[in-house]
Amino acid sequence: MTGALLRKIAWHWRHDEKRELWIGWWTLVVFYNLYGLLFFAVARTQPPPQPSLGHAEIVEWFAARHHGLIYGYAVVFIVGGATAIMNATLAYTMRRMSVSRAFAYSYLVIYALATLPGMLIMGVACTVGAMRPDRDPELMSWLYDFAFLSFEGTMGVFLIGSLVWMLAVLLDENRVFPKWFAYLNLCNALTEVVVAPAWIFKSGAFAWDGTIAWWINMVVFVTYTAVFLTLLRRLILREDFGTGPLPDLAR
Amino acid sequence: MRRADGETLLLWTLPVVAAIWLAAFLLFPGFVSPMSPTMSAEEVAAFYRDPENLPRIRYSMILFNWFAVGLIPILALLVLQIRRMAHRTPIFSYALIACAAGGPTVFLMANLFWLTAAFRPTRDPQMTLLFNDLAWMTFSSQVGFLIAQSVILALAIHLDRQERPVFARWVAHFNLVVAALLLPAAFAGAALTGPFAWDGLLTFWVRNIAIGLWIVVMAVVLRRAIERQRAEDEAVAA
Repeated sequence: MTGALLRKIAWHWRHDEKRELWIGWWTLVVFYNLYGLLFFAVARTQPPPQPSLGHAEIVEWFAARHHGLIYGYAVVFIVGGATAIMNATLAYTMRRMSVSRAFAYSYLVIYALATLPGMLIMGVACTVGAMRPDRDPELMSWLYDFAFLSFEGTMGVFLIGSLVWMLAVLLDENRVFPKWFAYLNLCNALTEVVVAPAWIFKSGAFAWDGTIAWWINMVVFVTYTAVFLTLLRRLILREDFGTGPLPDLAR
Repeated sequence: MRRADGETLLLWTLPVVAAIWLAAFLLFPGFVSPMSPTMSAEEVAAFYRDPENLPRIRYSMILFNWFAVGLIPILALLVLQIRRMAHRTPIFSYALIACAAGGPTVFLMANLFWLTAAFRPTRDPQMTLLFNDLAWMTFSSQVGFLIAQSVILALAIHLDRQERPVFARWVAHFNLVVAALLLPAAFAGAALTGPFAWDGLLTFWVRNIAIGLWIVVMAVVLRRAIERQRAEDEAVAA
């Protein structure tokens, strides 16, 4: 079984014209699964805790997941750079469209920056919090706020990034993605708008753990990710390495 | 005579920038024998308050603040070499551009924490300890973009299937070895002593020597690739 799989991979590595695209696609699939596992099951920083915890409760929060934070985020730090190849692959979808290369380049640079607030800053803050459980509780509370606000509250990169992709899909004449995907990009962009009150409210629907700022955001993001992974796979299957409209998926 | 395109000039900025990095590294009193994570808040505060140390901390970190982004032109030259490879898509060159944006930003964050700690060393020692921890942890554990850079180069070189590939196969293998040597540093938060601690053998010495070696080796092979490209271009023009 393993042997057959390895032989299959070796064949694609040697002969598949689309191997660069498949490397990108598999990196996306493996990364998003690992990312979910690390944040939800290992570090247990998602779903997020309440912003209103007192200092003593925050110290307890760090203590309760000490190893999870340290080892979970260590793995995040190792694989974090994989986002470069993922964003390069998504930027390629825009390069394949009939639109200007400016769209692909904008998306690439915006999402390269997104890696910092999207996970690395939170990882450093959580690691520093976990490494010294006896740190002044007031500073532990600052690390806690810094971690969750940087993660939940950095909106612009995802907002503008999604809008760039939306515009590219709408303008494209090469049939790279169906037009309805543009509106899903708009949905993802709008969740970044409604998350803004997380900077103001410490409890309720608008707080960083609230129904609006977190739950709706997460449902839309997971749907969006699952959809673009499916569409990207179909795109790779349809890819003819030309510059004109893509053919339909062969039956 | 071909027109000067400035690539040689960019390449020769590297020895200058590398000399400045080395000087800044030696100037910072916390690097040559790396500061221990076991130091208490009072000891860390005393390190920043020491009149011998304080100017050296500031000047070395100001140098790093100026020159940390100095590697980006070299990465840009590597991007151009990837574009000459026999690939079907620009995915690898795009990915290296993404790494070039991410890596120095992470280092600059560490730099800001060090400089902020040194700005008011009389602050509450707990605050100085926090800035010092944030600086060291960001500096030590953030190996993701460096690992990605090496893996992307290795993949790109492996898939460059033409008669005379841009880089030799061994450069790909070398990059994978470097990526493996950088990996343990991600666990810097796991221990205050031993090889994984931020002053430990793996996290400090192996990681930093691997980065230094990568810069030297990649600069040499990059120079050769650019020279070969020139010779080929001139042969075509003649």
